[in-house]
Amino acid sequence: MDSPTSQSHAAPEVLRFTYVPRKGLLKLTIVNFLLTVITLGFYRFWAKTNVRRHIWACVHINGEPLEYTGFGKELFIGFLVVFLVIVLPIVLISAGIGFYYGPESPLLPLIQGLVFLLIYVCWGYAVYKARGYQLSRTNWRGIRGALVGSAWIYSLLYFGSLLAKGFSLGWATPVMNTVLQEQIVNDMRFGDAAFKFKGRAGPLYGTYALCWFLTLGAFIFGSFVVFAAVGSVFGDAMPDWSDETLYGYIALIVVGVIALLLLGLLIIPMLWAVYTAKEIRTFSSYTRFDGAQFKINATAGSIIWLAVINILILIFTLGIFWPYINQRNVRYIIDRLELEGAIDIDRIAQSMVHMDKRGEGLADAFDVGGL
Amino acid sequence: METTAVYYDGKTARDRNVLLRHDGSSLVFKGDDTDETRWSIAGLHSIDTPTEGQPFRLTHDDMPGARLVLRDAIFISALVASNKHLHGGYTWKYLRDVAVWTAGGLAVLAIVAYLTVALLPQQVARMLPDDWRNRVGEQIVNSVVEGKKPCSSKDGDAALSAMVAALAVGNPDLPPISVRVFDLDLVNAFAAPGGKIIFTRGILGQAAGPDEIAGVLAHEIGHVAHLHPEAQMVRLTGLQVLISAATGTNGGDYTSNIAALAALLRYSRDAEREADSYARTMLENAAIDPLGLKRFFEKLMKMHGIKPTAGTPAKKTSVLDRIGNVFSTHPGTEDRIKEIRALPSGKTAVKVLTPAQWLALQEICKA
Repeated sequence: MDSPTSQSHAAPEVLRFTYVPRKGLLKLTIVNFLLTVITLGFYRFWAKTNVRRHIWACVHINGEPLEYTGFGKELFIGFLVVFLVIVLPIVLISAGIGFYYGPESPLLPLIQGLVFLLIYVCWGYAVYKARGYQLSRTNWRGIRGALVGSAWIYSLLYFGSLLAKGFSLGWATPVMNTVLQEQIVNDMRFGDAAFKFKGRAGPLYGTYALCWFLTLGAFIFGSFVVFAAVGSVFGDAMPDWSDETLYGYIALIVVGVIALLLLGLLIIPMLWAVYTAKEIRTFSSYTRFDGAQFKINATAGSIIWLAVINILILIFTLGIFWPYINQRNVRYIIDRLELEGAIDIDRIAQSMVHMDKRGEGLADAFDVGGL
Repeated sequence: METTAVYYDGKTARDRNVLLRHDGSSLVFKGDDTDETRWSIAGLHSIDTPTEGQPFRLTHDDMPGARLVLRDAIFISALVASNKHLHGGYTWKYLRDVAVWTAGGLAVLAIVAYLTVALLPQQVARMLPDDWRNRVGEQIVNSVVEGKKPCSSKDGDAALSAMVAALAVGNPDLPPISVRVFDLDLVNAFAAPGGKIIFTRGILGQAAGPDEIAGVLAHEIGHVAHLHPEAQMVRLTGLQVLISAATGTNGGDYTSNIAALAALLRYSRDAEREADSYARTMLENAAIDPLGLKRFFEKLMKMHGIKPTAGTPAKKTSVLDRIGNVFSTHPGTEDRIKEIRALPSGKTAVKVLTPAQWLALQEICKA
């Protein structure tokens, strides 16, 4: 501990984030894959941990890398607990009911409905706990992060936000996302220094409305094209079913299906990248750390590019190169992240928050996104 | 050797410049506002594998929260060269830890799988109430016979009852059963939960006399008495649970799937032996010639050209075809045949059915 007299610390500093790639990710990826196969999948907890350790160490803040201090066995134990306490009982109960009352029993859909409800209610809990685990395992200059609030409150908010989004045909999304972000960011700490989130959802609505109406327009246009195509084929009083025209119809249907898939899987997600970019920019500008303000220069084009390459990596390496996707995602943010304003780093003291022994069991079970 | 380094004490984020030297068995560092500290080499841990252009971070068992950050490439490579445990990467200890945890996980899985397949089914089967056994048994029969109605004729039904009655003589512990014949060409017989025993028209046609069918019936009653069909259902459901829990899928619905149904009706070698042994005792008690069963057994083997070690022929479409016939499902068939012996001397075989009854039974589907 510093006594006040010996304090000779430097002036407040501006933090600069850089991603400095390290060698070894390829070897890590291959060894992870091999060991995961050999251990029938059990190694994935260690694989995830090693990849995080590698990527964290590439994130430099003012030249000093982050450090990931988690262990594979923490994730494994988290998984075991969730498996034994939640997954197995649910599967056993529903299998037991299916077994006893037969597969056509009306109880079965009821149970399945309850399970889905349970999953949705717990989803936010899983997200919050996973974030808390990762923060508590992230060190910089010997100081770790923490999440200090209640996972259940976040979980209820999360569930409420799902309902609100559904019932409002999506229009509650900007408000609910802002509320959720506010809840979790205000619980975030680095050492004893707090993150603060403050801002309104209003500025998001222009972009949201644009994306919403464009999506609606795309649907209407798509349906119109399909109806027109079907009409031109079946509109004739006497369709001529000779082979040639039949092939023509089949070709038309194939083209139609491809066009709809293109619309649903490509154009509409690309459209929404505009909103996602706006949300990232807005939320980062609402976030402060110890008086300094964040800024992330996310753009729709760069998000689409990130996602397209990620999907191609996933497809062409059969998912084996997922560490590279994680690296790309982290790098995307770090390359665009700025913190405006100086911070008195030396003053930040170690977090007193208790560290959970287990990691991310529920998030793993639900396959919640993130790293 | 001496170099400069940055020290973080793990209590605040403050960076402290220190002068670091390596004196054989330990690292010693000291700074303007850092008291001289001695870290033994043996207690050191590296945070990173040494990488060019990246800082090299160390911590120590005595102060797990503290970090020493080195940037002097020459010092780092000298330190790591003489102390392999600082090199990082995959160590034996790491691989051993992974192996231990993985083996533990696999062992738990193996125990659960063993319980599911070997121990639990028979226990659970005993606890199932009769209404469940009847209902599920009927569902299975319906799926297997593909919606066909059971054959029935006045004399044929009477002959079937007479055969069951002949088997009941001297066997007071006979479990409750219902026997039906279905109009199917396949040569087969099986038992479903709830004591539901099914014969095909084909199997009646292949038999040379009623004692052969009585032998098959005794074998099926053996399955019923040992609750093999019920246990098999529990076993399959258990496996489904394991698979769905391990893979996160629903594991499939066995009643709508021919392959699964076939698996359901296929018993283990031990189960077949239990049923054989039950049949032998039953036939002996009822004074029905066990050689009928033996003859029929041999006939079926010859008919299907099945060598004792061969599995069931592939490419069958019907469930009844897939499960193989009553005897041919498992290796060791010859041994099973050998164990069937004639009635002990002094015991004369009874006639199971009169020739008229036998004819009526064989023609039960012609009504």
